[in-house]
Amino acid sequence: MSSKVSALDMPDVPMGQLPEHLHLQRTRVVCKADAPVHTEGIQYSGAYASIGVDNSVGVDSFCKSFKVKVVRLTKEEIEFDMIGIDASLANAFRRILIAEVPTMAIEKVLMVNNTSVVADEVLAHRLGLIPLNADPRLFEYLSENDAPNERNTIVYKLDVSCKKGSPRVTVKSDQLKWLPHGSELQMDSHDISSKAKSYTSFSCIQDSLPEFSKKPLGVKFDDIIIAKLGPGQAIELEAHAVKGIGKMHAKWSPVATAWYRMLPEIALLKEVTGADAEKLVKKCPVNVFDIEDIGNAGGKKAVVANPRTCTLCRECIRGVNEELVELRRVKDHFIFTIESTGALSPEELFIEAVKILEDKCDRVISELS
Amino acid sequence: MNAPDRYERFVVPEGTKKVSYERDTKIVNAASFTVEREDHTIGNILRMQLHRDPNVLFAGYKLPHPLQYKIIVRIQTTSQSSPTQAYNQAIDDLDKELDYLKKGFEDDKNRYEEKLRQGY
Repeated sequence: MSSKVSALDMPDVPMGQLPEHLHLQRTRVVCKADAPVHTEGIQYSGAYASIGVDNSVGVDSFCKSFKVKVVRLTKEEIEFDMIGIDASLANAFRRILIAEVPTMAIEKVLMVNNTSVVADEVLAHRLGLIPLNADPRLFEYLSENDAPNERNTIVYKLDVSCKKGSPRVTVKSDQLKWLPHGSELQMDSHDISSKAKSYTSFSCIQDSLPEFSKKPLGVKFDDIIIAKLGPGQAIELEAHAVKGIGKMHAKWSPVATAWYRMLPEIALLKEVTGADAEKLVKKCPVNVFDIEDIGNAGGKKAVVANPRTCTLCRECIRGVNEELVELRRVKDHFIFTIESTGALSPEELFIEAVKILEDKCDRVISELS
Repeated sequence: MNAPDRYERFVVPEGTKKVSYERDTKIVNAASFTVEREDHTIGNILRMQLHRDPNVLFAGYKLPHPLQYKIIVRIQTTSQSSPTQAYNQAIDDLDKELDYLKKGFEDDKNRYEEKLRQGY
């Protein structure tokens, strides 16, 4: 029992600076054994007014404290850290990356002949999910009133058959041929005198446009199995791809997935030495802890070597009698991972997502006085 | 059968305004903004930015029903500002912050690619 101290002799609460435990509460989520604690973000500017600490964040203080750090960048994936933003911004980026960045995907499928075991609509559904290698920024949206032309549609053809007597054929996505001239099928016209119209009205060959002549618009992955044909079966169809967003249908989502997590921070509440240190190091499946030798006596101490790999499996706090480790998450440090399906590279995807969020903000401004 | 069309989630129909404003009759300096065809993506960000403003006493958003695609943002300010002013200021600040964020990301990405090219 600590000795009683008169209230007048106690040290002053430092004005203008948050005491330790409140700073922990404001900036860290503590993951206890049963549930995380202090998860809500304290953004209210007057939250600590009684202590004299101003919690407001202006644009300048945001700009000063904001940092980005790219950790890994490949053609298909990016992992980067964003420090100084709030959870709502991080979540908004994740939502926009999944549902609102536009892509091209097959929407209309004109069936000429389908004698395979895969039903028409199932085949069309599968074709819609195939990722296409087309940059959606070069295309416009196709609405109901527009005619499909070379600026808003990409036409593909699939024409495979399996001859009687030959072994089974697997239809893979590389057999989808791009038709730069537009649709080859002709619409029925009751008027005999008029010329036969095709389903799309391309005014010029898509191949001749400068953007597409160097990079042919095919599918991104060649080995996606579309259907399997037995002897005597055939598939002949024409597919039209248009621009859309993930909110309409998941086939237009440009990411395999996009996710974020908060930076883990592990604190050792007391010094762990000797056999206990070895046990602690062995418990962690991702090697967060490491042994450090202290002094000449050969004593061992456990230290936190790699907090970033912590996956919150809670093995280090499970079944212990006394609290040795505290698992925390830093509230404003987010580790983003974006896996692209291939049309746009992952860093371009993130920049598009920021542009889309800016457009949203502009649309939401009230035009009232 | 009863589900609305998917494009209803983001296409504002003809005739309805994107943002409408309603003053609160019982409380001074309080108002509700109804934003059509938006969801948590913009609602939570707006609420967060409004909280940071020292003149704002109350700021909150809700989606009245998950199948009705609109959000209602309720703001109450001190007498030194008005809800409209706080709302517009929050959006302006967001615009500036997003600009800075985009520039910061592009700079760091270029720096990372430079480092890769130099073979570190």
